[in-house]
Amino acid sequence: MNAPPRFELFVLDDGEKPVEVTEDTKIPNAATFKIVKQDHTLGNMLRAQVLAMPQVLFAGYKVPHPLHPYFLLKIQTDGTITPQTVLEQACTKLITTLSALEAKFKREFSFKDVEGTVAEDPYGATGTGGQTWGAGRDYLDF
Amino acid sequence: MQTYEDSEPIVRIRDLKKDRVNFVLENVDLAFANSIRRVVQADIPTVAIDMVEIEANTTVLPDEFLAHRLGMVPLVSVNCDEAIRYSRDCTCLTGCQYCSIELRLDVSCHDNKTMEVTSNHLEVIPPTMGEHDGLPGEELTKRGEDFGYPVGKNDPATPPVLICKIRKGQELKLRCVAKKGIAKEHAKWSPCSAVAFEYDPYNKLRHTTHWFEADERAEWPLGENAKEEDPPRDDESFDFNAKPRKFYFEVETDGSLGPQEVMMRGLAELQTKLANLILGLKAPPDIDMMNGGDSGMQPVSGNPPGGGWAGGSMSPTAAGWGNASPQRNTGGWGNASPAQNASGWGNTSPAQNAGGWGNTSPAHNAGGWGNTSPAQNAGGWGSSTSPNTSAGGSGSAWGTGGQQGWGSPHANGWNV
Repeated sequence: MNAPPRFELFVLDDGEKPVEVTEDTKIPNAATFKIVKQDHTLGNMLRAQVLAMPQVLFAGYKVPHPLHPYFLLKIQTDGTITPQTVLEQACTKLITTLSALEAKFKREFSFKDVEGTVAEDPYGATGTGGQTWGAGRDYLDF
Repeated sequence: MQTYEDSEPIVRIRDLKKDRVNFVLENVDLAFANSIRRVVQADIPTVAIDMVEIEANTTVLPDEFLAHRLGMVPLVSVNCDEAIRYSRDCTCLTGCQYCSIELRLDVSCHDNKTMEVTSNHLEVIPPTMGEHDGLPGEELTKRGEDFGYPVGKNDPATPPVLICKIRKGQELKLRCVAKKGIAKEHAKWSPCSAVAFEYDPYNKLRHTTHWFEADERAEWPLGENAKEEDPPRDDESFDFNAKPRKFYFEVETDGSLGPQEVMMRGLAELQTKLANLILGLKAPPDIDMMNGGDSGMQPVSGNPPGGGWAGGSMSPTAAGWGNASPQRNTGGWGNASPAQNASGWGNTSPAQNAGGWGNTSPAHNAGGWGNTSPAQNAGGWGSSTSPNTSAGGSGSAWGTGGQQGWGSPHANGWNV
């Protein structure tokens, strides 16, 4: 009855910032990013991508408590670049990779359609006849 | 650094069926591949039955039991992004044609043999065009004609989902409301029934330990994916620098979305997450922060006029108890977020709230204790006398509000 709405675990509150940067006072060129309403899906991927950059000395992430929907990402660089820039570049790089992958998937799926693999499925007919749409959409399932 | 850094990912679909896709992903790292797995499992919106009102249930199963089962029934959710809104984003009060789909089930048994109530008995009630509860939108035109139907309805080749068995004289009559959601909220919204994810079938990287009695190779039979890779040579030494680069996926859907839509939406969703993060990093500092608060709310020392138990903290906010987000807040217990709040206990969300205790969600709330659901609650515990923009502590009192602020807008029915 008093439970907070479940979507609070993944939807930003009004006015809530998706990311909060805290610069580290004891470690040079380091910052901690608090990324809210996100989890390991983003955290681990970013960590790995940031770590792959040569200017980065340290990168790690943690989800401090499983019931608190945020994670902390700590980045230390060698001083030639700020942690913020590193994170931004990592995000951009990941988006590039993802869109490349998206294009490849699209290509692969179109090949499979042409080969007629889909038509041979055990369920046979397309059933409920939901094939009315297609205009403006570049893929169609079922 | 490593040579693969600049190489593009490679994907090869090995098998594509109506409800599943099997593919090999190469040239990406483990974290990336795992994020794809996570995103297709938990972050893609679908529709599922979220509320059930039972009118008559003389079956052997209790109401809760049936409500839970109904929630699990996969509903066709093709093009869910555009075809339906989240009810939390909708302007309607309790659900409208743009944010919910109504289904009804009305069966009774009159024969002398056991009858099976299945998902095929669920009938989608077409949206009534007359009432416009919510803000009109494009959603309805984006729907396929079977949007919201139980998967496999009208398709004799797909066996339906069994909900209950009834005997002569028993009846089941109920009304369901299906809503859009994601699997982070409840697993019933997951478009995937299973996602297989494998790498390193020979365990060359030793990411796992194969327990065995006598002979490891005999006791750990190799799967299909092992054919894609070279078996380790007997004299091969352990390469502790090696990283997994080839991942074997099989994404199996429950039929609410097709495998292609699941993959494409998953990738798009990941990009959205990253794009939002970039936006967050680039966002200019808040105007409020530069102003440092206004109208006599300087937090430098002592309690600001707005009162509350705020200590004079050094930050440009006058935080009270709990975190105040970095905008001009004065006093108050707990988080007070951006706009005009003066005092208020607990998290009050942006728009004009007069004090209130607890989380009040976005739109028009005047105070309220506990979670008030996202639409129109006046009061609860907290003042409803001065609904908006009460400055200073004066407005917040433990007054009694009009309607109750507790509980969900649904008067009854099972929240599945």
